[in-house]
Amino acid sequence: MKFTRSTPFKAVREALWQTNPISKQILGICSALAVTVQLKTAIVMALALTFVVAFSNLSISLMRGLIPRNIRIIVEVAVIATLVIVADEFLKAFLYDISKQLSVFVGLIITNCIVMGRAETFAMSHPPLASFMDGIANGLGYGSVLIGVAFIRELLGAGKLLGFSVMPAFLYEAGYQNNGIMLLAPGAFIAIGLFVWLQHSILKD
Amino acid sequence: MSDSIKSLLFAALLCLACSLLLTAASSGLRGFQQQNIALDKQKNILKSVGLIDPYSTRDRSAIEALYAAKIKSFWVDEAGCIITGQQQSRGDLPIYLYLEKDDVAAYVIPIDSRGLWGRIMGYLALQNDGSTISGFTVYKHSETPGLGGEIEQRWFQRNFVGKKIAKGSAREALDSEAQLNYVDGISGATLTGKLLSAGIRDTLLDYEPVSVQFRSHQAYCTQN
Repeated sequence: MKFTRSTPFKAVREALWQTNPISKQILGICSALAVTVQLKTAIVMALALTFVVAFSNLSISLMRGLIPRNIRIIVEVAVIATLVIVADEFLKAFLYDISKQLSVFVGLIITNCIVMGRAETFAMSHPPLASFMDGIANGLGYGSVLIGVAFIRELLGAGKLLGFSVMPAFLYEAGYQNNGIMLLAPGAFIAIGLFVWLQHSILKD
Repeated sequence: MSDSIKSLLFAALLCLACSLLLTAASSGLRGFQQQNIALDKQKNILKSVGLIDPYSTRDRSAIEALYAAKIKSFWVDEAGCIITGQQQSRGDLPIYLYLEKDDVAAYVIPIDSRGLWGRIMGYLALQNDGSTISGFTVYKHSETPGLGGEIEQRWFQRNFVGKKIAKGSAREALDSEAQLNYVDGISGATLTGKLLSAGIRDTLLDYEPVSVQFRSHQAYCTQN
């Protein structure tokens, strides 16, 4: 079977575009606003969420035959919470400065609808490998929008990318100024809104 | 086995597995985390006296070397005098001295204030005249990001530089002279501001004997 026809590839492509968690399903907006001020924090957040959603999907899918129906949601929350705390501990140990900038938003991955949503609607009814790939796909979909928004916000709001100044000096001398609103939540709203609009116009269904 | 017994058993096993995983992660990584916290404290003390630029990144060994060269930590007793050695009585307080060629350029007192959602920890650096603030940093807090959380931003901490500590009620009229003792609050962060002000005030009162020493002698006294 050609790679581009295989289920994992199609799942990733779908989550990146047709069913993108942020721009199509409008999930996970809160952290998308807060951590996209800089490209660096957005990348770390996207990786953390991808790790959590992939492994929570995997664990829940492995246990799906055993989980009693009446405590299903609580079990999912417990698994997700454990993975998020483990991810937070790793960040505090190896990426301390970034973890301070992300502050509570890593912990808030527990409440991120994307993670719970995929666990409940996909992992509970699909085999482990497909669930893992679905987790990776949705994480990448979330990450792609996060990185896109952070790219715009850091570039227009601070003239930098990944902390390095990229705006040429002659622009500043000619009177160009950094767009302050891009560093605040309203700027993020506008950027995300434009992404949603762009995607809906191109998809047109 | 009935359904509820199965549920209980599953829940118990899941809790066991999760707690094992969390404990392993936490204790395994604790060493790295504590190293990071210690380095962060040193960075903040150096930032509060203006020895490093908040936005520059220096590697671990450069910071540790700078800290070892310029900052010495001591305990002061209730009379405000430096104790040579370790803490001797419960009333003793920690202090950090920024030394330039054996002269004290500034002294740094740790701030541990009550905040809205948790403690606010930081450092307040005072010049050797005993009344002017030379820097303020916050390294740990649990305040609301974007509102009370702004206390960790440079623009807020810069407000403190050059202000003078003074006794008196906060309800005194704000004439231009009294401006020297006030810092602007943050809109939307009333409670954080109130609690932090009270916390800093309490700490300054605790360390007042030390400040008095600096005001009169421009140097510290040592316990006899």
